[in-house]
Amino acid sequence: MKEVLHTFSKELCGCLERFFINLEQIEEIRIRIDRPVEVIRGGQSSFIPYIVSEEEGQQILSKLSQYSIYTIEEELKKGYITIKGGHRVGLAGRVVTEGGHVKMIRDVASYNFRIAREKIGISEKYSSYLYDGTWKNTMIIGAPQAGKTTLLRDFARLMSMGNQNLNIYPLKVGIVDERSEIAGCVKGVPQYTFGERIDVLDACPKAEGMMMLVRSMSPSVILVDEIGKKEDVEAVMEAIFAGVQLIVTVHGYSLEEVKRRPSLQPLFSQGSFQRFIEMSNAPLPGTVVNIKDFKGDSLLFKRTVNNK
Amino acid sequence: MKWIGAVFILFATSWFGFYFAKQLTDRTKQIRAWKLTLQSLEAEIMYSQLPLQDACRRIADQMNGRLREFLLHFSDVLANGAESTKLAWMECLEHYKKNVSLKQKDLEILMQFGETLGMHDKHSQQKQIVLALRHLEREEQEALENHQKYDRMAKTLGVLTGLLLIILLI
Repeated sequence: MKEVLHTFSKELCGCLERFFINLEQIEEIRIRIDRPVEVIRGGQSSFIPYIVSEEEGQQILSKLSQYSIYTIEEELKKGYITIKGGHRVGLAGRVVTEGGHVKMIRDVASYNFRIAREKIGISEKYSSYLYDGTWKNTMIIGAPQAGKTTLLRDFARLMSMGNQNLNIYPLKVGIVDERSEIAGCVKGVPQYTFGERIDVLDACPKAEGMMMLVRSMSPSVILVDEIGKKEDVEAVMEAIFAGVQLIVTVHGYSLEEVKRRPSLQPLFSQGSFQRFIEMSNAPLPGTVVNIKDFKGDSLLFKRTVNNK
Repeated sequence: MKWIGAVFILFATSWFGFYFAKQLTDRTKQIRAWKLTLQSLEAEIMYSQLPLQDACRRIADQMNGRLREFLLHFSDVLANGAESTKLAWMECLEHYKKNVSLKQKDLEILMQFGETLGMHDKHSQQKQIVLALRHLEREEQEALENHQKYDRMAKTLGVLTGLLLIILLI
């Protein structure tokens, strides 16, 4: 949280502290030029009467880039920046295009600070569904803000650390972290709590990264965030057939919905995934709605399924 | 007694002469050092894509004297969370310009360069650096000419003025 506050002006920090006694519960801070600052906490949005001027917006961007805009060119193209502590800042504004592709966001008018939070231990109660000597290929499905990445991150920790009580042995874990969101790397070093047996390819394109890891780091499990593009799916298939276990996340509301996405078809037709975890941000982010096996039968509510 | 006085006068005026000559040499040297700094900065920005504070610290290792102090100071100010790059640059330049032989117009080029530092993408930043380099080159040329023209003059003038004073006073 202090990394985020560091990028704000002193006045804004003061204002935030006056309105929120417990800054740690904040999930998102949305800053829009010439409009009041919006703070989202526990799913509830509230505005604080602090208007951000254009100049202050510039300063935020300049601080986010460590006063060097040229270092975040790539990020300005993608529309988000990862800062120390693994927090992610989404950007919107006037987009400059070149040859039909986004070149950069020039006049940034909206900043969305998503506060990353590690929840150590949340994956433990679901591990019995995913682990029986080896980890099963798993897909975590959820809407934005449902806590997919947080759960994925804790699985990574559990895998690399192992857990004696749950009879889980520590394994070599590889993470391909295209958006620097899972491990929140700064200069290649993960910022979150992980075990010893973890290797992170930071800011690496997923498809290429998965193959790089398979070839060079011999991981037992690979974790990837937000599968969606065609080449990602191909790389996932490759990795699975290379004998590596995969845990991935996908945007979507439910397994049924995700199954309808054309680009993800190969994953389902081959039956490569054995477990599906559905997550939701209601009532609170991080709610696991259901865990399904490869046939789509629920494992959490087994009895009701069997009675049918 | 008279002769001791005469020696003092001669020393003093010669020292002035040599001092001015040194100013001329130093200006050329300092402009050259700045050129080198900007060129290194360009390389750090274009190839290693380091943020300014790291780039400046790295370049400072290759420099010495006041310029090194300036770079380290600038990098520290940025690391401690400055308001903006421009203000940090100005503040450090203000500090730096005491005790250097650079002229006001040389410093103005640097100030102008600081206005846009870190505000643009890679290529615009490179253009700004090239522009500043070109300005500095012009100043260097002028400094070099001045040096050639006035260096020996200042030195001899210092010694001769001393002799003149001594002759007049004796």
